[in-house]
Amino acid sequence: MNSKLKNKITTELQLEIINFLHQEAYLLDSRKYKEWLNLLTDDLVYRMPLRETVEGVGANNIAEDSAFFEETKKSLTTRANRLYTKSAWVENPATRQRHFITNILVESTANPNEFKVRSYFLFKRSRGSSHTIEEMFGERNDIIRKVNDEYKIAERTIYPDQAVITTMNMSMFL
Amino acid sequence: MINKTLDEKAFHLLKEKMEQGLLPQWVITDPDIYELEIEKIYGYTWQFLGHETELKEPGSYITRWMVNDPILLVKNRNGEINAFLNSCTHRGTMLCTADRGNKKTFTCPYHGWSFNTDGDLVGIVAGNKVYGEEMCKAEWNLRKVPRVESYQGMIFGNLDVNAEPLEDYLGEMKWYFDILLGRSGGMEVKGLPQRWVAKANWKATAENFAADPYHVQTTHRSTVEMGISPEDPLYAGYGHQVVLENGHGINVITSKTGKARVPFQSMPESIWPLFEEHLSPKQLDIQSRVTVFVGGVFPNLSFVSPIHGTEGHLHNYLNFRMWRPLGPDKVEVWCWFMIDKAAPEEYKDAAYKGYLGSFGPSGTLEQDDTENWARIVEVSKGLMMRDKELNYNNVNNYLMGLGRVEPDENFPGPGVAYPTTYLDAIARSMHEHWLKYISKGLFVKEESK
Repeated sequence: MNSKLKNKITTELQLEIINFLHQEAYLLDSRKYKEWLNLLTDDLVYRMPLRETVEGVGANNIAEDSAFFEETKKSLTTRANRLYTKSAWVENPATRQRHFITNILVESTANPNEFKVRSYFLFKRSRGSSHTIEEMFGERNDIIRKVNDEYKIAERTIYPDQAVITTMNMSMFL
Repeated sequence: MINKTLDEKAFHLLKEKMEQGLLPQWVITDPDIYELEIEKIYGYTWQFLGHETELKEPGSYITRWMVNDPILLVKNRNGEINAFLNSCTHRGTMLCTADRGNKKTFTCPYHGWSFNTDGDLVGIVAGNKVYGEEMCKAEWNLRKVPRVESYQGMIFGNLDVNAEPLEDYLGEMKWYFDILLGRSGGMEVKGLPQRWVAKANWKATAENFAADPYHVQTTHRSTVEMGISPEDPLYAGYGHQVVLENGHGINVITSKTGKARVPFQSMPESIWPLFEEHLSPKQLDIQSRVTVFVGGVFPNLSFVSPIHGTEGHLHNYLNFRMWRPLGPDKVEVWCWFMIDKAAPEEYKDAAYKGYLGSFGPSGTLEQDDTENWARIVEVSKGLMMRDKELNYNNVNNYLMGLGRVEPDENFPGPGVAYPTTYLDAIARSMHEHWLKYISKGLFVKEESK
């Protein structure tokens, strides 16, 4: 592992970005989707390719030709706004959800205002009186950009660890 | 082998109710019925395995399921597609666990037996020393799926060696497949099918696509609230519901005027001339007027060809899906995105985004569908679904249009076409076929073969 410093990532900066991701998770879990949209840059790239099972050691097992999400800020806004209607039945009655964000690693990039941030996610969801707990987990690779002294998500690629998704549907954002 | 059968009394009561347009609700999730379905429906009908464009090069392979049978589809050196039981002939181990790839040989991890793309056993570790010279390798080749046939690039398998040919089974559906899949010279699959598990019964999900435009206004009410879909409660009902032979069906949804809302479902103008080339005048007439095609091939293959977009632009695509039963109340959904090969690349990309925004597990329309499928199985297991006198009083209502809506003799396509899609005609036909299959050999008592 290359531990040589590029632009120094200070503890303070690291903590700010960790707090930012925790705050983002809180907004999603609290269904504050409009507030969540404010955390995204206008040129956002938001993707979630499929995971596939392939043979071979070290072989790429991300199906780059297939996706669950291929979004822009505009399309995410449509998705989010729909969840505020009375008849998005999937979320009415609302599911109870938690995003657990861990293993956050912040790296600098050539742009002093942009940071490469890797995190792991565990998403858990409970619906109605169901005894079954739905979950998804995997990794996110973000580009977090500093815009006017605020952090924003400029790019997010979500890698699920399941080849077959075990949530009933994907009304959530990860 | 034990021959499972349906209780004679139950059969007669079922038949009687169904003739009145009523379906006893307990049959949806009854475990004994489920066992009958797997054996008597899935053992004898044509199952969708994949599309020819999923196998590009010699050695390309994909792995699939026919309910509980793992299937390996592989393109051999001559470009022919073979389908095998994905199980080593030595000790039965699953041979290939990947979703797709490219290989010259498949080697079992247990004892190292290897097979080529024709399923021939080509390598046995220490063969001559442990089995002797006299072992005939050809006796241990991979077992082929008894019947594999394709139509318009769609590959199907059948476990019944005596099954009628695929083209006969598809019957009148072929005419519509020629439109959906052949209009511009062929479709291609993008990437891998999305897969997810839903709490649902395969009959309900198949019925939802094949037979039920009536749900659109309520289930997808959020798109009306968003201003994406029209307010008119009948908007998904304009057009024809077409009952096809063998339990298949298609809804040709047009508009209030019977004309297209947008020409050729928003497909790029560059490919319009191809439609004339590949379609008959009657098929072209339908393609020129349709807004949404939605339907199904009995028992568990569905399709929808709508117009959608998340960026304000509308695009057409073709979504095929297969409902793999995992139990009475569980399905594994397989969902393929298809697009005209001849379409410009940028159109294909935009259509894929439109697809992700509407169907598939993350689609804004699909998300609400899954909710209803789950709610059906949640209520179907109870004692009140059947009473002690076996009257099966809790029945589902399939009466819409029964004896009230007459077929439209002027519809240009094959099948019995009714002049609205808010109708239960396809659903009743699906149930009739379902009963026909599961009651076949009904009067054979349990016996060991």
